[in-house]
Amino acid sequence: MGRIGALPGVPPLLAGVALLVAWEFAARLIGISGLPPATDALAQLPAILSDPESLLDIAASLRRMAIGFALALVVATPVGLMMGRSRTVAAFFNPLLMVIYPVPKAALMPIIMLWLGVGDASKTLVIFLGVSLPVIYHSYQGSRAVEEKVLWSAAAMGMDAPARLFHIVLPAALPEILIGCRTGLVLALITMVTSEMIARQTGVGNILFNALDMAQYDTVYAMIVIIGILGFLLDFVFERLRLRLVGWAEPAADIIVGTT
Amino acid sequence: MSARLATLRDGLVGLIPILLILAVWQAIAVSGIAPRALLPLPGAVGARLIDQLGSPTYLQHAATTLLRLFTGFGIAVALGIALGVAATASRPVEAGLMPLVRVLAPVPKIALYPALVLMLGFEDSSKIALVVADAVFPILLATYHGMRTVEPKLAWVAHAVGVGRLRCTFTVVLPAALPSVLTGCRVALVISCIVVFLAEMIMSTDGLGHLLVRAARNFQTVDMFVPLITISLLGLTLNAGFNALRRRLLTGFPEEQ
Repeated sequence: MGRIGALPGVPPLLAGVALLVAWEFAARLIGISGLPPATDALAQLPAILSDPESLLDIAASLRRMAIGFALALVVATPVGLMMGRSRTVAAFFNPLLMVIYPVPKAALMPIIMLWLGVGDASKTLVIFLGVSLPVIYHSYQGSRAVEEKVLWSAAAMGMDAPARLFHIVLPAALPEILIGCRTGLVLALITMVTSEMIARQTGVGNILFNALDMAQYDTVYAMIVIIGILGFLLDFVFERLRLRLVGWAEPAADIIVGTT
Repeated sequence: MSARLATLRDGLVGLIPILLILAVWQAIAVSGIAPRALLPLPGAVGARLIDQLGSPTYLQHAATTLLRLFTGFGIAVALGIALGVAATASRPVEAGLMPLVRVLAPVPKIALYPALVLMLGFEDSSKIALVVADAVFPILLATYHGMRTVEPKLAWVAHAVGVGRLRCTFTVVLPAALPSVLTGCRVALVISCIVVFLAEMIMSTDGLGHLLVRAARNFQTVDMFVPLITISLLGLTLNAGFNALRRRLLTGFPEEQ
């Protein structure tokens, strides 16, 4: 048991199975149509995943998410890095970011749809906004913590400011930036689902609500399981990637689960 | 003196982008590139906001939202801290709970909302449950990490003078982890604010989120901005208020960062 439990991915898997079992029992015990047993919902999974239309919807959602996420990385990382290196840039952006922070980004959907229409552009923009903030924040923190002496040495050896930002600040801040990306990735999925639940044109959120409207509760729960697995897998894969990329910067104590 | 001058300069520099956005908004609205129906004047939105903040019906909707927000947040604080303490204090609880947290934390909780509506109904309880589901994780994780990184010498001293394990957890370790716990709570508070609004937008008949959706259906652009600004201001105020409370509670703690 101890050895199996130590393998990466096994405790979460056990936890997932435990959740499903608990769900199954609760559903059988309560016995309302609003909570079908886990087995009924899971039985819908093959039907959803083999239906080309819903697969296209899911793919479209993921594509928007990827584009929004990538755009946010490209824009937000340099902004955050520059904020960390220049007091004026930080002073310029900080109050604006503070004001934007509590705005529910997905709630901008109806307004943005007035300007950009109901298509991909609005949803991608909303995802972009949702992801940008954590990435800017973590890049800012990361670049602020870069060792000054390294930068001075580089400057003394004749490296100019943009090159310093790219060759020194970026790699040094990478561990922190990737933490921001991890938060951003989860947020991208959340914003994607939420914006689709609010706009209800295409995508994962739309399948979910169509099923709800037609009282296909099994499908509703199956979609929730799919979205849940998607969230967990994206995070899991990104975390593996992050450990591989910046494992050198990881304090040994930060491995929380799977050690017992 | 020059430090104060620099702070003043920073503050003024920070106003530039906000004023710039307002100016561009005003310019586009006035120039007529965008029809007034799509982009109202900032002044009109501001006037409507002040107008609405004096209207009893609007305040009634805001109160509904606030009630859901605080109920959910309160439950999340109690639950999150309790689970965090339990996970730190007991090995079996930790082994059972943390993998669950690890699976559930990155899942978009908003996707659970239809299920919550099916189980708890259309009214307040499903929205409160969603707020709890979203707010509990930051608090739980902050409590757990905060308590685990407390200087072990503090607990050793308590043990040495004969304080029991359980009592030590509550009177030494938990208070020492307070900065981390409160940071988790602050993050969760803003999340609660956002989530309750989104839940009301998706399915509701009252609350600020519903007002936005209703305005969108009736194509009243100005009224779409007003609830959004209200909830954002609410988030800002709560965040600032919580920060003040946090500073108050943490007097005497070594300042982190």
